[in-house]
Amino acid sequence: MKEKILLNILHEVQDREGYLSEKSLKEISKKYDIPISKLYSVATFYTMLRIKEQGKYVIELCGSPSCVLNKSREIEKFLEKELKIEIGETSKDGLFSVYKTSCIGCCDEAPAMLINGEPYTKLTVKRVKEILGELRKNANT
Amino acid sequence: MRISVDGKRLEVDGEKTILEICKGLGIKIPTLCYHKSLFPEARCRLCLVDLDGKLVTACSTKAGEGSEIITDSKRVLKARRRNMELMNPGANISELSDDFEAREIYEQVGLDNERFKPIKNYLPELGAALVRDNNKCINCGRCVQVCEKIQAISAVDFASRAHNEHVTPYNEKHLSEIACIKCGQCLINCPVGAISERSHLKEVIKALENPKKHVVAQTAPSIRAALGELFDMEAGTLVTGKMVTALRKCGFDKVFDVDLGADITIMEESAELLKRIKKGGPFPMITTCCPSWILMMEHFYPELIPNMSTCKSPHEMLGMLIKTYYAEKAKVNPKDIVVVSIMPCVAKKFESTRPELNTEVDYVLTTRELGRLIKQKKIDFVNLEEQDFDPTLGIASGAGDIFGNAGGVMEAALRTGYEVATGKRLKSVEFGSLRNFEGIKTGSIKLGDKTIRYACANGGANIRKLLKDKDKYHFMEMMVCPGGCVGGGGQPIYFDEDVLKLRSKALYEQDSKKELRRSHENPIVKEIYKKYLGKPLSRKAERLLHTRYRKRDGF
Amino acid sequence: MQILRETKLEGLKLARKIGRERVLEVLSEKRLIGRGGAGFSVAKKWEIALGVKAKERYVICNADEGEPGTFKDKFILKNNSETMIEGLLIAAYVLGAKRCFIYLRGEYDYLRGELEEKVREVLKESKMKVSIEIVRGAGAYICGEETAILQSMMGNRGNAMYKPPRPTVSGLWGKPTVLNNVETLTCVPQALVYEDWNPDYRLFSISGDVSHPGVYEWELGIKMSTILEVVKPKEKLKAMSFGCFGGIMPVKKNLSISQDTLCKNDCQHGAFSIIFIGERHNVVDICLSIAKFYTYESCGKCTPCREGTIRLVNLLKKIKNRDADEGDVKLLKEFAEHIQETSLCGLGQSCGNHILTSLKHFRKDYREYIK
Repeated sequence: MKEKILLNILHEVQDREGYLSEKSLKEISKKYDIPISKLYSVATFYTMLRIKEQGKYVIELCGSPSCVLNKSREIEKFLEKELKIEIGETSKDGLFSVYKTSCIGCCDEAPAMLINGEPYTKLTVKRVKEILGELRKNANT
Repeated sequence: MRISVDGKRLEVDGEKTILEICKGLGIKIPTLCYHKSLFPEARCRLCLVDLDGKLVTACSTKAGEGSEIITDSKRVLKARRRNMELMNPGANISELSDDFEAREIYEQVGLDNERFKPIKNYLPELGAALVRDNNKCINCGRCVQVCEKIQAISAVDFASRAHNEHVTPYNEKHLSEIACIKCGQCLINCPVGAISERSHLKEVIKALENPKKHVVAQTAPSIRAALGELFDMEAGTLVTGKMVTALRKCGFDKVFDVDLGADITIMEESAELLKRIKKGGPFPMITTCCPSWILMMEHFYPELIPNMSTCKSPHEMLGMLIKTYYAEKAKVNPKDIVVVSIMPCVAKKFESTRPELNTEVDYVLTTRELGRLIKQKKIDFVNLEEQDFDPTLGIASGAGDIFGNAGGVMEAALRTGYEVATGKRLKSVEFGSLRNFEGIKTGSIKLGDKTIRYACANGGANIRKLLKDKDKYHFMEMMVCPGGCVGGGGQPIYFDEDVLKLRSKALYEQDSKKELRRSHENPIVKEIYKKYLGKPLSRKAERLLHTRYRKRDGF
Repeated sequence: MQILRETKLEGLKLARKIGRERVLEVLSEKRLIGRGGAGFSVAKKWEIALGVKAKERYVICNADEGEPGTFKDKFILKNNSETMIEGLLIAAYVLGAKRCFIYLRGEYDYLRGELEEKVREVLKESKMKVSIEIVRGAGAYICGEETAILQSMMGNRGNAMYKPPRPTVSGLWGKPTVLNNVETLTCVPQALVYEDWNPDYRLFSISGDVSHPGVYEWELGIKMSTILEVVKPKEKLKAMSFGCFGGIMPVKKNLSISQDTLCKNDCQHGAFSIIFIGERHNVVDICLSIAKFYTYESCGKCTPCREGTIRLVNLLKKIKNRDADEGDVKLLKEFAEHIQETSLCGLGQSCGNHILTSLKHFRKDYREYIK
């Protein structure tokens, strides 16, 4: 039998359910005969795997030096103020979870962030405000 | 292969790691994460040595032809100290009790500076058997490896990464909420005491100080073979008599022998086996002395519940008899009796909280806790005179003594089972095939025209392995700790498996020196059955000495 | 750009025609070395894996570039992934591998759909009986390290392991495994097909305080003045950081970018990522941002890296907050050196470079903050 790639299994579940719930971890554990402690261990090692329910939009703001040189800290502060949360939290309306990542490889278009995996580059506070507005609108329709 | 170590040229085995080579040369290299029976992950990085000008971890590195190793240069010593300084400033290793390896390593490395503040901030977990404090943890990973590889339970693993990396059950649950079998092998392998037993010492001392209480100690078979180590006596020294004297000096009113409980267990268990042979099953019948095995079965193999013997464990049986038979006999109100079991085990602490047992055991102390109590009372243990157990419940057969060894329960059961079933006398009561240090031992014996096949496993992984073949056997003994109770989670911390062999040998010696080596010939056992219980599996015996089990969640 | 030249499966065809021995010879003659930073000969690496007796061998394309300031593999994945896939197939052919993998970093997951499409197309056209599976990384920089990537693929935490055994000898599931990154594998068919293929061309990722950041292809030894003419500084430049690992040094116009010249400045080119830092910045601030990267991405296994990187961050914060004295700077240096000296893998062994080089070249910036 071909060895299964656990990371892909975990991603698939997360794609479907938004995060890796205790229930899903138990199911994966049974199905693939992997101790649940190990699944939790692996899931918490990787920052893009989540073990808690996430906002509808997961924002990952790049924290690389290239982005810092291009004022990503202003974006960070704006996001925290606008969404009334700190990095690592989910907004009260359940729409946004915000994280900081090491580098998303958009250094030539800094500052940048990923929203649900899609890159948004050359950010300014004004542009982030617009993006959030659009996402809010989309979420309501 | 020729290399040089600290300037000395020598011929060495190229397959050995630098750590092993140095150990052979008598050079002590400090390490906290290395363990002989585990994979060297090279996490702690205290075992640094200079290999041809580069600092490498001795535990994970092999030398090459002609290489030069320096183990004690200024650079090496300083690098070790820096890692010690970083390791966990909150752990206060300097205040650690002598029980743990880190104490000695700490002194060897010699911390010269403490320039960092602790960054860990975890809530300690207080369980019925184990206490876990991640603030003391140095992330050596031995508990994780033991739990996964030796015990095949995987109750804990690392979570998160970088400075947030920590050991935890899944989803940050407590050990008490998950399928942890509380064997305490994590504790035995923890170098810094981040995992410790739930102590009952305070409660016991309080009872001892209360003049209205009649406090009774009962000691498990394997305590006498290990307690001496806590007082720097050689491993494998039998200290039965000193132990009894020490307990009396600590203030216990009576000191009884769980080995007698073991004899009674054998009476019940062998009767149960013979009954099943008559009835035709269910087979295999499986022993129930090990509370961690019971937990393992309930969590992971609940389908085996009908296979389990219904016998309570020896100290639970004796505890019950102390508050019934003995209380009647000594005319003491059972309510005033406090039963304290001295056990090699942390799971026994959990066991006495099981409602199914209607336990009469009030507190459980580990061997280490007893050691602490004796030290607190400033008793000069090594030079104590030797006294005997209190005779009412203090005479045991050699069969009871060997319960502390993996394979011992099986051997004891076979001695009695054979002789009761066949009416013949065994020529030799020693079963050689059960006395080696293998993880799985098997054999067969003829009972009349029936061949009874038996098997024993010790260590969780071996139990899982043996269970795959369970249908081949009629009778199985399961001990979760490697080596059986001599290697229990409540025993003195040991660093070398040879220690277990010495402890085990001591118990076999105690057995071989006795005239009385068969449980069914123990005069006290005979008296208890004659005057109190009737016969094995009588209604009274069933009510007092037997129990039941339940299915538990597999996660 | 040389890296964008397409080979349209000509490389694979040629490889099958001339046979695996000859492929190795050609790659060796053409001086193709790995572009991951270690600079090991590709032919040599494949030969070692080939020399190990085994029923199965694996080839992995390491598409987990993640060092801040580096984005050249993304550029290839976006613009010439067919050639990269062809390189993977050539490796599979030479090694007799039946199962290949592309470990794609989680941050590039949006490129996955198109990449899967390309994999299907190229595989179909090549008629090779191999599988190419995409492994979805999940945000762990350390998994770019060759032992960590294997752990990650085998369903473990992405912890770095000590060597030996090397992956080429005992890698994925204990089998000989060849790991090459995106740029290296793209070069393979190009080196085979094109007579004029130049082994000294490198992809540079340029970012920071310049008007034209992006991916450029230059020859080793290129002069800084030439680079600056192209990328156009937005302001007077104070410093340049070679990714996160390579160290920070002043921008010298007459410097040529090669291993030797950079070594003289205690720096390394690594993956040829240059982050330019303008005069208005204090280098300590950039160091703090780099230090945070390490303390976020350390796998946590080794004591010095797990416990040390966070201490470096705390010390740099203290300096930045103007709370520190010379003693703290001394401590910073001592532990930057110590962590590098006693850690297991490349991450820990270079996590102090930015501090040590900035202390050497930009002491003034530190003094500005010191009490």
